[in-house]
Amino acid sequence: MRPLLLLCALIFTAGLSAQPVVAPTPQRAGDAKGEDLAGYNIVNSFESGYRFRAVDGNLGKFRSDVNFGNGIRLLGSHLTVHSKKPGTGKYFDEIVLSTQGLGNDPYQFSSLRVSKAKLYRYDGTWRLMDYFNPALTIANGQHLINTTRQLQDHDIVILPQNRFRFLLGYSRNQQDGPAFSTLQFPDGRGDEFTYLLNVRRTRNEFRLGTEFEVLKTKFHVLHGWEYFRDDTRAPLFSPGAGANPNDTSTLTRFRRDEPNHGQAPYWRVGLHNEAFKSFTVDARFTNTTGQRNFVFDELALGTGRFSSAQNRQVFVGGNARRPVTTGNVTLSWFPLERLTITNHTALYNTRMEGEGTYGEVNNAVAGLRLLHFQYLGIRTFANLTDANLKINRWLGLFSGYHFSERRIGSSQFEDFEAPARLDRTEQTNRLHSGLLGVRLQPVKQLRFSVDGELGRADRPFYTISEKDYHTVAARAQWKTKRWNLLSKFQTNYNLNSTSLFVHSARTRVASIDGTWSPRGSVTLEAGYGHTHIETVTGLAYFSLGELVENDRSFYRSRLRQTRLGAQINVNKRADIYLGYHRIQDAARLGIALMDQAFPLTYETPLARFSIQLHKKMRWNLGWQYYNYKEKLLTLQDYNAHTGYTSLSWSF
Amino acid sequence: MLRFWGLFLLFFGVLWAQAPKDPYIGSQACRGCHLVQTQDFFRNAHTKADRGCEGCHGPGRAHVNSGGKKEAIIAFSALSPQKSLDNCLQCHSKDMSRANIRRSSHTQSEVVCANCHSIHKSATPKHLLAHQQKDLCYTCHTDVKAQFSMPFKHRVNEGTVQCSDCHNPHGAPASNWRMGQRPRMQQHAQSNEQSCVQCHADKRGPFLFEHAALRVDGCNSCHAPHGSANPRLLNRPVVFTLCLECHNGAAGFGRTGEGIPTQPGSHNMADPRYQNCTTCHVKIHGSNADAKFLR
Repeated sequence: MRPLLLLCALIFTAGLSAQPVVAPTPQRAGDAKGEDLAGYNIVNSFESGYRFRAVDGNLGKFRSDVNFGNGIRLLGSHLTVHSKKPGTGKYFDEIVLSTQGLGNDPYQFSSLRVSKAKLYRYDGTWRLMDYFNPALTIANGQHLINTTRQLQDHDIVILPQNRFRFLLGYSRNQQDGPAFSTLQFPDGRGDEFTYLLNVRRTRNEFRLGTEFEVLKTKFHVLHGWEYFRDDTRAPLFSPGAGANPNDTSTLTRFRRDEPNHGQAPYWRVGLHNEAFKSFTVDARFTNTTGQRNFVFDELALGTGRFSSAQNRQVFVGGNARRPVTTGNVTLSWFPLERLTITNHTALYNTRMEGEGTYGEVNNAVAGLRLLHFQYLGIRTFANLTDANLKINRWLGLFSGYHFSERRIGSSQFEDFEAPARLDRTEQTNRLHSGLLGVRLQPVKQLRFSVDGELGRADRPFYTISEKDYHTVAARAQWKTKRWNLLSKFQTNYNLNSTSLFVHSARTRVASIDGTWSPRGSVTLEAGYGHTHIETVTGLAYFSLGELVENDRSFYRSRLRQTRLGAQINVNKRADIYLGYHRIQDAARLGIALMDQAFPLTYETPLARFSIQLHKKMRWNLGWQYYNYKEKLLTLQDYNAHTGYTSLSWSF
Repeated sequence: MLRFWGLFLLFFGVLWAQAPKDPYIGSQACRGCHLVQTQDFFRNAHTKADRGCEGCHGPGRAHVNSGGKKEAIIAFSALSPQKSLDNCLQCHSKDMSRANIRRSSHTQSEVVCANCHSIHKSATPKHLLAHQQKDLCYTCHTDVKAQFSMPFKHRVNEGTVQCSDCHNPHGAPASNWRMGQRPRMQQHAQSNEQSCVQCHADKRGPFLFEHAALRVDGCNSCHAPHGSANPRLLNRPVVFTLCLECHNGAAGFGRTGEGIPTQPGSHNMADPRYQNCTTCHVKIHGSNADAKFLR
């Protein structure tokens, strides 16, 4: 009985953690043992019902954050078919199918596995995401996106248990839908005009490979072909007035085509050798040849700042290339049973190059015409050594020393004005970092770990890059059959400064979480965490025509998260779940332009009830409330009631 | 003659009695006591393992003969994390995704296979995870759970994006889009590229004009992929402070070492018009038509 209670507690805990989305219902209909039919065992559960919503406030922001709508859905389904005697199925031994949100949910998912022992294994996933984003704080809604993204991955392994295995795969990623973007007209100082885009991007990837074992060394060889097409268009459009009322320029006609097609064939070779008991070797080598061919054609007609007619056509053509070669070798040595030493060497070499011709016609007069060439090469070498020592049952140590060197070379060619100019630069950055950690387990139920990392880089590329940094992390966990308490603390600090400039970033994370299962039918959980971020960065910018050089950008975030949950099972028939989740950024809104914070409150209480009506049927009911408030742009606030009622059944 | 045959039988009888018996006893013997673990095991991927239960738990005869002593068999609950890892890797090391498992942050913290996978009570038929993936990760990564509760985030809680789309919980090669091995445990796209470009293929390029930040320090230079208050998952609530923190002309940084260029004098930052940089610099990830990413 006790193992059964423990199993129930584990299942309920999993249900608790599923916050904050109320549907689909985690409880399934039907017998978990399934039913036998024609040599197979079948377990299935389908949940279908009606989802509803009522939104008060900014619907666009709600769609961007949550996006659940009204209507009938197949909220979730689960089907497994297994042959009772493995390997005896005629065409398959196993089918595992899971779906979520099919019908009309904004987030749809399905996963399928079909396999026959020793012959084949197929894994497929299909995902769809409806994406709506008004982007009010980005460009006042001028960059709204309303697209759908579909992702598919299909993999087949032939002879999965053989020493020679064959791999076939296909992935597809497609993004479609309307969006807005902006352009300036008649020139770089012109007004900004919003225009319509038809987004259409497709990525197809085909894979073919093999895995085999020779002389106790396992090899993995994969060749892939990636094809990318971006056929996003801006059809003929009449934007009219621009974003700035003081600017008198207008854009009466606009059209843009910018097809961008490319391919990236790649090789990936890996090996794993464990011929020696105390020594293993893992290696991976990859080579990719990426290329994109593009043309760009833009036509814009309107009037300039002084009401004179303006027309402009821009046409560009060219290609860009980026071959990448990498090598990774990991050596693992086990000199003692309690000691593991690993060394990892990584080499990364890439160069980006391309050339394009740019042509511009203004007011029917051929004007600017130039040739661009750009090159950016990056070569990184890294060597990382780590040791992990278990001194005794209650004490362990781990440490590491990491070195990496990155060389960046770049050149740029422009014939914008005579004479043509070619700039070449090169720089090298070296990073040394050390890692030290201690693990303690004084009693079986209690674990502590503390670790820290210290790093020094001599030539970071950016002002916000890591230069002189350290991190400290500590974790304590008390775990018994009824209790699970976890507390964490972590701080990251980075200082990147030169004589007059400073960038300082500090992050502190602390949390405590607990789960208590006093009985198998009741589980309670609570958690609190905070994440504090503070950055200070030196700035230089123009304001009212004057260069401001001694200003600072401050950014503060005080993220506080509270969550509560209770799961109650009544007579093994009914399940009740009550949860509350609140996240708050408690930082004070800055008073100066460069003093940034984003105070907000986002809370989502939810309740779910599920009852078994029949051995093969359950009725489910759920409600979730969303309340979003912010101080920077209060027109984004909203509150929404969402809910569902559904039947879960098994046949 | 009888004495001879008697001695002969006695001699070989003793030899037979002392001969080592096959230490393996077969999975059928396990059913007697471990019914819960064995009755539904035909659904488990490990059912294909050679020697059934003893494929993972080792020879079982001594365990049976001792009346079920835990010490007489490989009981994973009694193994040290290191031993537990070694046992699983006997079969599972051939997968390339586990090449760096011994130096991964999880292994260093003694989070090994059985902490996430449950062979006998798995919540997911694929990968035999103890709970749904996000719940498993959230158990320890509570700060990440908070980030995924922000208004703008990848749809992990909603079920269409998984932690393992971007992270490799078994350890990853050094992340060469940045220096050293930070960030750790990140899944690599084709050629040690950030996993972001697997889905956001339009940002991958190559472009004639690359925004070097992507290639030199990675997408995290500007984006907070777990969650943010910004609609484009930027590290700052508004755009201009993010851009100005690098484009400030500070000496010693950038391509030439003369600082990353500041904006021209025509950009009056006191005017809200110039505070949304990407309104004009729309192709900020890279452009084929304009070196300043204007089109």
